Amino acid sequence: MSKISRRDLLQYIGAGGIGAVGGVLYSESIERDVELIIPQVVPPEDYSPGIATWYNTVCNQCSAGCGISVRIREGKAKKIEGNPVHPVSQGRLCARGQSGLNVLYNPDRIREPLTNAGQRGTGNFYPISWDEVLTTIASRIGRLKIENNASRVRLLTGRVRGHLDELFAQFMGLLGSDHYQQYDFTYPSALKAANKISFGIDQLPYYDIKNADLLLSFGADYLGTWISPVHHSLAYGHMRQGRAGRRGKTVQVEPRMSLSGAAADEWVAARPGTEGLLALGIAHILVSDGHYNGSDRDQWSDVLQAYSPSAVSAETDISEGNIRQLAREFGTSKAALAIAGGATTAGTNAVASAVAVNALNHLAGNLGQPGGIIFNSDQAFSATPGTRQAGMQGILDLVEAMEAGEVDVLLVHDSNPIFSLPDGVGFRQALDKVPLIVALSSFRDETTEQADLILPTNTYLESWGDDVPDPGVGFPVASISQPVVTTLYDTLPVGDIILSLARQIGGELPMAMPWRTMEEFVKERWREEYAMRESGGADQDFEAFWQAALEAGVWGQPGVMTGDQIVPSSSSTIAAITNPASQFAGSETDYPLVLHPYLSASLLDGRGANLPWLQELPDPLTSVVYGSWAELNPATAEDLGIREGDVLEVETPAGSVKVPALIFPALRPGVVAMPIGQGHTSYGRYARNRGANPMDLVSMQIDDRSGDLAWAATRARVRNTGERLQIIKTDGITRTLGRQILGPENDHA
Amino acid sequence: MFDHGQPSYAEVNKDILSVMLETGPRYWMLLGTTMSVAVIFFFMPWFYQLIVGVGAAGMNRNAYWGTYLSNFIFWIGLSHSGTLLSAILHITNSPWRKSVYRSAEAMTLFSLMTAALFVMVHLGRVWFVHWSFPIPNQMGLWPNFRSPLMFDVMAITTYLTASSIFIYMGSVPDFAAVRDASTGTRRRLYTIFSFGWRGTAREWHTLGWAYTFFAVFVIPLAVSVHSIVSWDFALSIVPGLHHTIFAPYFVCGAIYSGTAGIVTVMYCLRKFLNFERYIGQVHLDNLGKLLLALSLIWSYINMLELFSSWYGGSSFELEALKFKLTGFYAPLYWEMILFCAFVPLLMFFRKFRWSWNKMLLISILINIGMLTERFIIVATSQPRKFLPNAFGFYFPSWIEISITIGSFAIFATLFLIFIKWVPAISIYEVKETLKPLRRDA
Amino acid sequence: MKWGSDLSTLVEKFRQYLKPGYYDEFDYHWTMTIDLDRCTGCEACVVACQAENNLPIVGEKRYARNREIKWIRIERYWEGEYPDVKMGFIPMLCQHCDDAPCEIACPVFATYHNQDGLNTQIYNRCIGTRTCAVYCPYEVRYFNWFTYTWDEPLEQQLNPDVTVREKGVMEKCTFCIQRIRLAKDNAKDDDRRRVRDGEVVPACVQSCPTEAMAFGDSNDPEAKVSKMMKDPRAYTVLEELNTTPSIVYLKKAHAES
Repeated sequence: MSKISRRDLLQYIGAGGIGAVGGVLYSESIERDVELIIPQVVPPEDYSPGIATWYNTVCNQCSAGCGISVRIREGKAKKIEGNPVHPVSQGRLCARGQSGLNVLYNPDRIREPLTNAGQRGTGNFYPISWDEVLTTIASRIGRLKIENNASRVRLLTGRVRGHLDELFAQFMGLLGSDHYQQYDFTYPSALKAANKISFGIDQLPYYDIKNADLLLSFGADYLGTWISPVHHSLAYGHMRQGRAGRRGKTVQVEPRMSLSGAAADEWVAARPGTEGLLALGIAHILVSDGHYNGSDRDQWSDVLQAYSPSAVSAETDISEGNIRQLAREFGTSKAALAIAGGATTAGTNAVASAVAVNALNHLAGNLGQPGGIIFNSDQAFSATPGTRQAGMQGILDLVEAMEAGEVDVLLVHDSNPIFSLPDGVGFRQALDKVPLIVALSSFRDETTEQADLILPTNTYLESWGDDVPDPGVGFPVASISQPVVTTLYDTLPVGDIILSLARQIGGELPMAMPWRTMEEFVKERWREEYAMRESGGADQDFEAFWQAALEAGVWGQPGVMTGDQIVPSSSSTIAAITNPASQFAGSETDYPLVLHPYLSASLLDGRGANLPWLQELPDPLTSVVYGSWAELNPATAEDLGIREGDVLEVETPAGSVKVPALIFPALRPGVVAMPIGQGHTSYGRYARNRGANPMDLVSMQIDDRSGDLAWAATRARVRNTGERLQIIKTDGITRTLGRQILGPENDHA
Repeated sequence: MFDHGQPSYAEVNKDILSVMLETGPRYWMLLGTTMSVAVIFFFMPWFYQLIVGVGAAGMNRNAYWGTYLSNFIFWIGLSHSGTLLSAILHITNSPWRKSVYRSAEAMTLFSLMTAALFVMVHLGRVWFVHWSFPIPNQMGLWPNFRSPLMFDVMAITTYLTASSIFIYMGSVPDFAAVRDASTGTRRRLYTIFSFGWRGTAREWHTLGWAYTFFAVFVIPLAVSVHSIVSWDFALSIVPGLHHTIFAPYFVCGAIYSGTAGIVTVMYCLRKFLNFERYIGQVHLDNLGKLLLALSLIWSYINMLELFSSWYGGSSFELEALKFKLTGFYAPLYWEMILFCAFVPLLMFFRKFRWSWNKMLLISILINIGMLTERFIIVATSQPRKFLPNAFGFYFPSWIEISITIGSFAIFATLFLIFIKWVPAISIYEVKETLKPLRRDA
Repeated sequence: MKWGSDLSTLVEKFRQYLKPGYYDEFDYHWTMTIDLDRCTGCEACVVACQAENNLPIVGEKRYARNREIKWIRIERYWEGEYPDVKMGFIPMLCQHCDDAPCEIACPVFATYHNQDGLNTQIYNRCIGTRTCAVYCPYEVRYFNWFTYTWDEPLEQQLNPDVTVREKGVMEKCTFCIQRIRLAKDNAKDDDRRRVRDGEVVPACVQSCPTEAMAFGDSNDPEAKVSKMMKDPRAYTVLEELNTTPSIVYLKKAHAES
């Protein structure tokens, strides 16, 4: 290196120095935003900083309708707890309910109305103003109405109850269209159909698990996903250790151990699809061994004759001794209760199985009794609690109509049939024939992605409404849903959207539906209810009542009912007892395994997949996060030469998916189980392109008595692709290795 | 003692000081290389980790301690080289230590510094490391002296201080020699460094006394330092770590590792600095015998450990033992046994003890084995604690491997700087081994 | 005389210092009982804790490297083989051991036993040596390997009563100390000296749908937890390690045949 002269050195220093000074001056000259030292000199009016307020509303993460209490600090929702005075949740809440905050503050919420500008299915959406979008839709619908073609407008929603349901019905009715359907994958169609047959009721009864001594569950994951998990968990806890000297016993009949199966004292892995038969076998013994002594004993005996223990044992693959023991326990228990759900009510013999379980309850004599089936009185509102479930047949009718070009405008709210239904339904393709698809939704799920216009709705934490829980709790109850924070984005509550549309469409609609907002509507309806019940109640009294109802979040009339339970006769059940075998799609030779999809305890039917807390939550039984998997019994896996982490191609007559294998000890051999919930192709950053959707594998089997999809009636085969994929689990070794972690060992049986 | 005939006093000075006074391009290239490797492999990944968080390394909720801590222990272990050679052999009056002890002491110092660096890398919030020192502060908080890590802090600081003073003090006459052989700035610098040493009898006497005092002081210090470091592990209740044998095990392992390190350094000094005359076969032979003895002790302690784990029958211990011997890291474990217990047995044979190349290989294998041993301790005990559901797995990340490599480069850099600033062989002690010149020769 | 009394004071102080937790008696002794016969493993407690205590969203990649942060987790244990296979759940969270191995480990006193029997973690004192986590036999301590961020607007949900931790800091269950403090403040304002049983409810206990968890002051003989502790099914996990945890589990009962 050549020497630097002193002069050069000085020049370099000078240049560097000037450069440095210049840089400093430049950076100082950039104007920064004035920083507020005391940002809240003028305090906001709607909250006191540092003081928390609690607002009661209703959770919408499943259809149980638990009341919740939301803690608000500085106008932001911080924590959701169960509402202590709400009879369904009683201050408790499940993991999904707690994750509601992820719904409200989800980064992928739709923040303003969007239009696809004619590029349907590309995923490109552009902002559009509320005025424009409402005008477009109103004019389209209005025109159809004038032409008397309003039946070309169809509304498909998720499970909606309460007065929002009435609003939808009124809106469609006034238009002149009777095409208002609901589709919710978790809707217990078979159970309701069976209850209609057996007990003549439309609503679900109250299953009094709390006071039962023996709970025999056929596939119903009552602690995880069946109907009302929080309430059932409360009941379960009480049944176990809440009564001095009395501990309830639970038995779970299902091919794959669910959360309820893990809690049960006995897990019975009957052959898939034969659970109903097992129920009939138990019923047979109850009658033949003299546990049942009702007057209709002979009729029972006749109809149950064919279901002898030996015949049933052969079909169900449960030993005769085991069946007899179950029957003996059921028959001698002081308060025995049988319930059905899950895969038992998702085969092609779903309704028959549920009827068989109802038979057990008849024979246990628990109808209308504590610890048994308690019939709910009439609901608080005259609006029926959601019997609009379209079922598979209804959806197929809709698809047919769309294909035939009979649908001009399809409004979709809170329902994702493209994801929840098998591809064989053809929903996605049928949408191509519909000129205008409008989605009323908070998130861009698969169905919303197909929309032409997206109207972003408020989440349940920002909406007014009300709910009547189904199942009820044995007495009239109505919950109020109120916003706990101000609306975050440029969204509207769905009720407000309908009311705006009604106003713009004109005609008799605005007169029949004069309310400006959902709040007004709900309050009006409650005022009418109040006037009816407290006949002559003055307005000030109503205002006081309304404030009290808002503060409590719920209204109920405990003490009304239980007394006058009318026990239905058994004749309808007896007449309805059959035992069709479940028809599985695919032959046993081609597809040697049975596919057992099950609702994920965290993601449910896929609606929770966009919530990071739920994706992060280890699956309760397998501890897997952020993915999906296919479970195999250790023996089955060994036979097929499959290790955990091998990527399997699971193939059914309907399709195939690739998922990693997981070895699960509590699974019947010959069954491959997959959780439902992952496999989204849209729906936000946490859900997108993650895992596989077992609904892609389900064949189009329908239970003709309920009209709904039999999603547990498909056979499958697996093939090891040779690839490997890490299954992300939090579990290390799931054996105690003699370390007495679950308690000191003693000499129990 | 001397392979090629006895040098004269002047030749001793010239040979040893020439390393300091003459520097060729090869040195600069070597220094440049080690510094670059240190920066690229150690400092840059470390800075990345400082920005991103300790998560850049491979530790997880099953193994919170990883290679940073096992390397820390390895380097502390390596630091016992100087202590042994300098202090212990000084007390026992071994003549053959005289040419090798200065470099050994330097190794001690630099190993300690590298180890201290590893502590910094290991910490989650290293900018608060000063909180672990008992410095009066406005928070009114004092560190927790019941914590084994505090014992570490105290012990290593003491050891570092004592070793620095020890090596400095022992080098004072040699600094004087440098002063006398140099001119200009260097002369002025070394005048300061040598405290104006004149070489009077009184000064020699004081030096001898002080040196012996420190030697006696440093020996228990070294034993306690590595015992204390082992108690980082042994005071936990983690199965596989909670053994009373850990203190002797680690001390023995440290001395073992350190001595092997000396062999490696000796080879390098001899080869690169032309010190063949001063470091001969007899040194190698003695070091070899020492290594052999230490390896036998080490093997014995290992067997004891295995035996007591098995004999105790505790489910926790047996599970940890099973994972160590047959789990994922079993190949590493057996490699360690091979390198540290079996390979050194070759030194029973003179052929091995007297061959430079063979001894270099053996010493490097021993140190690889010892590095592995520290890693095994960390990686196979933590993932097998008490609750089986929490069992897991630990695998080091690229940053950790890079930093490990970089640490050797840092050590090499420090050593390269050392040989230019301090005479690598003790001039006056070597002269003590020379037969006194006959007055009439 | 003076020497003697000074010495006895010193001896007294030294003995105090030696006692685990440094206290003779606890003011409150916060204890939790978990009834495994009620626990169904539903993990409502896990999400409740995440919401209350600003636990980060760790993400898939980091989960794959075993870096989850869940102050309460459900441990699963299988017993037996198909078809006689059973699963047992046990929620595992910081046991707030009175003889905690982690408390002696921390070189800077970032974790110590306070006068309420809680094993507390002082975030801004932690320098991240992670010794406490290695020493913990229950593996209930979690480290912030990175500074976690929330995708906007998820951070709007963060609880203002709880610190958001930065990288390099250890964290673990605190028995919702913010709620304990609030209850104690309220009790003081109310001129009551003691917090009543049931006034303090950690997030996990509050959410548990089966009412499996109970929380209270075991110094109060009338408290629910004191009664639960006397149940014959009561036990503590890893009892043989003598950590004296403050969480008492009730073994799952068995059905009479």
